Amino acid sequence: MGNGCDAVVKFSTKMYETFEHTADLGLRIRSAHLESLFEEAGCALFSVMVENLGTIQPREKCAFSKSGDDLEYLLFDWLNELLYRFDSEHRLFGRFDVEIQNGRLNGSAWGEPWDRKRHVLTHEVKAITYHGLKVQQTADGWMAEIIVDI
Amino acid sequence: MGKDTYHGPLEQVDQCCWRIPKSYKPGMRVDGLIFTDEGLLEQIKKDQAPEQVANVAYLPGIQYASLAMPDIHWGYGFCIGGVCATDPEEGGVISPGGVGYDINCGVRLVRSDLFYGDVKPHLRTLVEELFRQVPTGVGKSGRFHFKDKELRRLLLEGSRFLVDRGLGSNSDIDYTEAKGRLDGADPDALSDRALARGVEQCGTLGSGNHFLEVQVVDHVFDEPAAQAMGLKKDLVCVMIHSGSRGLGYQVCDDALGMLRRVPEKYGISLPDRQLACAPVNSPEGQKYIAAMRAAANFAWCNRQLLMHQAREVFASVFGRSWQELQMNLVYDVCHNIAKFEEHTVQGKLKKLWVHRKGATRAFPPNHPEVPAQYRKIGQPVLIPGDMGRASWVLAGQQGSMEKTFGTTCHGAGRAMSRTAAFEEAAGRRIDKELEARGVIARAQSRRGLAEEQPKAYKNVDDVVDVVDRAGLSRKVARMRPIGVIKG
Repeated sequence: MGNGCDAVVKFSTKMYETFEHTADLGLRIRSAHLESLFEEAGCALFSVMVENLGTIQPREKCAFSKSGDDLEYLLFDWLNELLYRFDSEHRLFGRFDVEIQNGRLNGSAWGEPWDRKRHVLTHEVKAITYHGLKVQQTADGWMAEIIVDI
Repeated sequence: MGKDTYHGPLEQVDQCCWRIPKSYKPGMRVDGLIFTDEGLLEQIKKDQAPEQVANVAYLPGIQYASLAMPDIHWGYGFCIGGVCATDPEEGGVISPGGVGYDINCGVRLVRSDLFYGDVKPHLRTLVEELFRQVPTGVGKSGRFHFKDKELRRLLLEGSRFLVDRGLGSNSDIDYTEAKGRLDGADPDALSDRALARGVEQCGTLGSGNHFLEVQVVDHVFDEPAAQAMGLKKDLVCVMIHSGSRGLGYQVCDDALGMLRRVPEKYGISLPDRQLACAPVNSPEGQKYIAAMRAAANFAWCNRQLLMHQAREVFASVFGRSWQELQMNLVYDVCHNIAKFEEHTVQGKLKKLWVHRKGATRAFPPNHPEVPAQYRKIGQPVLIPGDMGRASWVLAGQQGSMEKTFGTTCHGAGRAMSRTAAFEEAAGRRIDKELEARGVIARAQSRRGLAEEQPKAYKNVDDVVDVVDRAGLSRKVARMRPIGVIKG
């Protein structure tokens, strides 16, 4: 089941937060399941880039496929792919659906082309970094940390 | 990873230098040395930047010490404000993290024949026009598009490519570090993604801490040096801070991806994945170097085109050509780069890969790479501060060759995180506050302005004091901002 960021914000059950990093921004994401952790991470990334995720309409779908035996690298690759779509095609995403099986991630992202009139951009994320990159199982699910270069 | 205070060892060497001994961690090959003073040291200890100085000392082939400048702050892998030189003859490595995502991010300073009094009545028009004409902010593409063959030539030739097309003058090349071109660049070492990100972004400022500022010479500290640079009190200049945009970020990202399993392959153990590296003399190392050089050339072209657009705006606002306005380039420096340079280590002349991550080359008087006009005074060094207080022009000193592989600081360094600066600015209008201080600022994003507010930075004067006292570079002129455009 895909996770809509607008719904997350609406019900105030946001499962991500930013944490301080002197020059850049850290994202901390918690979720009960690995797949939803990745979906939430997509929301967290775009929440850094766009003032209000609720303004992104799920008009178009982009599909991605990534494989890797390391969950941290897989999360990195997923976010990196989303960031590249923004940078090269100026597409914004606000809803994500991720399946992970046997080290293979199949992800979909729904969004629309950036419209200056409706979408206020807040940060240019230069890159996803490997510094402090974490994907960990916790007592009640999963937790990820990732620092983005601003 | 939290913002923890550093509790490791810091031994005072002299008034301007503290040591992290290599005994601190078993993997350290050399000491860490931080150039700072007692006041700044308290701030430096508040995060993990000193730990990162120690981590860099793990890199194979590192020479002398893992160094940090007084504007050091917590980065990713390397600290910002770090210097690391490696010797390929001793298994030395090249590390993309030691250059950073924004390859050849740097600063250039352009002077004019205008004084503050000439510009003041037109300042608002000038800033508005700069903001209209110079692309700033996220996702803004420029009016210059370079595709396929053209982009490849630009990546190979650097600034010369643009000057040959009428977008600058020969003297622009003479006054750019490395003459605006690193040899050995290979456009074929760039991914399609990197090339695609470069097509529309040459001549765009970007966002974050990048800026284009109209500045006034506030105070001259070294008259002969200022004279050689054509600077005098109240003269109006333009300072530009930007880098290689998405193309450079992609080159770094591709390299870090390529290097994921490479350190293990060469038996290199690292305390942080972001320090990923490869021996200089390995296929992976050579590939990154060729791509990094191309991205560096792109960055020089980016700043060249930003300057070109600023010159056009000045010409239209003041009704004289930029040549008549004497808008000549004072100098252009890189502060995120790795270069192959000659240095003397323990009495032995060596060719080293000097990584400068948020640090500026500061070659002393009589160094052959300093342009003839500056040979007596040393290489001009440009230190952007914050948009409310000041920026600096320095000149390289002999101490830099003896202590820091010809390097000095690169800026004020952040004192507050972006989140903290934004929260601190809640309910305030940073642009209005700046205006009350005589600075007209325009930015695409109000949040960006809040995160970049003067308070978010250390006082650049304190940072410059340290490098001056340490003999790395000496004060030439203090610059005061009067107009700012940002992303």
